[in-house]
Amino acid sequence: MSAYLEFRKITKRFPGVLALDDVSFTVERGTCHALIGENGAGKSTLGKILAGVYTADSGQIQLEGRVIAPVSPLAARELGVAMVHQELAFCPNLSVAENLCLGDLPRRAGFVDRAALRARARTMLATVGADLDPDTLIGTLSTGREQLVQIAAAVGTGAQIIVMDEPTSSLSAGETAELFRLIRTLKARGLTLIYVSHRMEELFALCDHITVLRDGRHIATEPIPATQPTRVVSQMIGRELRAHAPAHLARELGPVRLEVKNLSSAGAFNEINLNVRAGEIVGVAGIVGAGRSELVQAIFGLDPAVSGHILVDDQTLPLGSIEHALTAGLGLVPEDRKRQGLILGLNCRENTALAALPLLTRLGFVRRKAESALASKYAQRLRVKTPSLETLTAGLSGGNQQKIALAKWLARDCDVLLIDEPTRGVDVGAKAEIYQLLDELACEGKALLVVSSELPELIGLCRRIIVLRAGHIAGEVARAAFSEATLMQLMAGVPDAA
Amino acid sequence: MFARLRVFFRFQESGLLLVILALGVLLTVFAGKVRTPVFERAADGMRTRVFTTDANGERIPLTVEKNKFLNAQNLAQLAKDTSFIAVMAVGMAVVIIAGGIDLTVGAIYALASVVGALVLHRYGAEGLATTSSPVQGILLGAGACLGVACLCGLFTGGLIVTLGVHPFIITLGGMAIFRGIAFVITKGQSVGAFPVAFRDFVRFEVGDGLSFVPLMSMVVVLIVGWIFLSRLAAGRRVYAVGGNELAARFSGIRVERVKLGVYLISGLCAGIAALLSLGYYGAATSGDGQGYELNVIAAAVVGGASLTGGRGSALGVVLGALIIQMISSGIVILGIDQNYSQIIIGSVVIAAVVLDHLNTWLARRRLTATAH
Repeated sequence: MSAYLEFRKITKRFPGVLALDDVSFTVERGTCHALIGENGAGKSTLGKILAGVYTADSGQIQLEGRVIAPVSPLAARELGVAMVHQELAFCPNLSVAENLCLGDLPRRAGFVDRAALRARARTMLATVGADLDPDTLIGTLSTGREQLVQIAAAVGTGAQIIVMDEPTSSLSAGETAELFRLIRTLKARGLTLIYVSHRMEELFALCDHITVLRDGRHIATEPIPATQPTRVVSQMIGRELRAHAPAHLARELGPVRLEVKNLSSAGAFNEINLNVRAGEIVGVAGIVGAGRSELVQAIFGLDPAVSGHILVDDQTLPLGSIEHALTAGLGLVPEDRKRQGLILGLNCRENTALAALPLLTRLGFVRRKAESALASKYAQRLRVKTPSLETLTAGLSGGNQQKIALAKWLARDCDVLLIDEPTRGVDVGAKAEIYQLLDELACEGKALLVVSSELPELIGLCRRIIVLRAGHIAGEVARAAFSEATLMQLMAGVPDAA
Repeated sequence: MFARLRVFFRFQESGLLLVILALGVLLTVFAGKVRTPVFERAADGMRTRVFTTDANGERIPLTVEKNKFLNAQNLAQLAKDTSFIAVMAVGMAVVIIAGGIDLTVGAIYALASVVGALVLHRYGAEGLATTSSPVQGILLGAGACLGVACLCGLFTGGLIVTLGVHPFIITLGGMAIFRGIAFVITKGQSVGAFPVAFRDFVRFEVGDGLSFVPLMSMVVVLIVGWIFLSRLAAGRRVYAVGGNELAARFSGIRVERVKLGVYLISGLCAGIAALLSLGYYGAATSGDGQGYELNVIAAAVVGGASLTGGRGSALGVVLGALIIQMISSGIVILGIDQNYSQIIIGSVVIAAVVLDHLNTWLARRRLTATAH
């Protein structure tokens, strides 16, 4: 008997990269099948080929022995394959019900039949056990809820295979647990799930099989019980990862570079006091909505309504002015690199030089040689993988985009770096490289304030961690006392058990 | 051979050059012949007809047979007509690359023209001002014309930045306001009678009727625009703001200043075009430049400026202006009913955008193919 779903010699090229190279493996019906690999390994591409977003250059997909070649997401839907995206899949200005039925709005005499629309949406939502008002606007839903609506759309239209691309990357812990329950229910109903993720714990908790891709090639497909996380990681990166204590911890701290006193911004954070010294990496932890990003953006001068004091090298910084922040040597690597960090339509060289432009200018002219030299220096230092510095950043993988977003501020030679989510959506290999880099920067005497949702990241990297909760500092933890449990308790406001 | 061709095709503007070439060939082939009288330039600069005697000994004007499109006079005319639009299109390109749109250019052109005309009129034959040299009057007129245009640009730019309203709305309003002001200050009358020297300067011709000044102005604006966009830090900021305004702000770029700047540039370019028209036509009315904004936007879009911002070049839009103008004059030369010209130009704009998408797609495929 042939397999339920089979990928045969799938190959796909993109400009400058071979995204998938002769990938073959099979997926069993009613299982949750994990696809893992570094960024750029091709896992999302493979999911998108199955869901009809891309078409393969060669190779074929067989579903129950029949060759299928979905040429569009709609065609894939008709074959019973749906995809749950991270990106906006809905019209945020329309209601849940309208979005769910957008492809086939119930009509009566040309008018939208609102009652039927609502009823149909309720039925679809019920299939995934979602308790949502169909009249809510999609734009007002949290990411987790929106995802639920996407799954409802998939299941409600009769999908048998659902591709999930990084479904938990912006979900809270509660939402993640909810999603996992739903996935198990769907599996019990005989649906097949292709689960694309970076997060090892999730895969081992949730999935039945795991397929590892590396540089577009198929490395292994194994049942979850037959493998271990360390084995999968080494399959992904082709080498053993070594855990090590960052070198900067052994160094003497310098003077205080950044000091924040009684910083407040209505609705975001209140009475924040903190300082970062030269050669120090200070972490900022907190759940979504605790005011972490708002805080670093305010320090960088992006919030005009902030009050309090910011001192850089004991000099008071005028509030709400990016120019003064820049002159004082501050740099901000924002959390959303595509929206805030990079100009995707410009190339690697131009993006790297963007913040340093005033330093690269003579009589208004950009000094091209100096610019290229600077860009290639940091591309090399950060090991950016790109066909050339003239490649548009839109064409790079997430990890390499993040490196360019970092390089922009290194090129400006900032002394105080505010880094919001240094490795979000970045693969394991690039993550290690970024950690290494941050460590080197601290050793060079730079002051780093790092915001992250990933506690292991902060625990591995920082000397101290400041925990924010609902806009207030809930506590500060020194390295000796680092543990996920301690931090989590502070973040969530659980009274100390001890 | 192929390698060289491929290098040529990698330039964004190569497609436009091909279109221009193809249009030129088509027009030459289908234009047909025309007999034109031969002129002779006398020592005093006057053009006089040349006569000859035929077989019967009668004196008849000497004529030559020329291609209707491919002759020096027509090409000179085409160059002159293109210059006006192209100068404005360079300014428009800067605005569009920054992610904006400027509908005021036609109205600024009219307002700057009439203000300049009022000043020049004072120093002209019927004017009240008496001065020994016309240079003072011409400089004042030119200053007024360009100054008003810049002020208009600053006005729209300032409103867009301070109010944070979509530029389409602001410039739509600005368009009506500026033309209204032009109408009020002239009471709808045409203003002419400028110093003769000014007209002589702008209409100065080289060769067979080629107006040197408009053409050179276009070349200068093109070069300055090209340097600005591709070599200056300020130009880089324009691309950055148009490509991703938020990321530009996060990189410390003063987005408001850039936006103000691009509308100022667009206004200035409209002013330069207005000044050229003053010299060339010797008069201005508040109705001048009606609908120019659409031709200018069309030229920019045909020339590869992306309305979503972040993409475009000075050379591209000048070539775009040339294409639009070739089509306009082609319609006349081919004897097609003038009423069809709007339809044809509209179709060309749409076709250009489709071709641009196709070209981007091909470029991506080429990259994929050459990567391995």
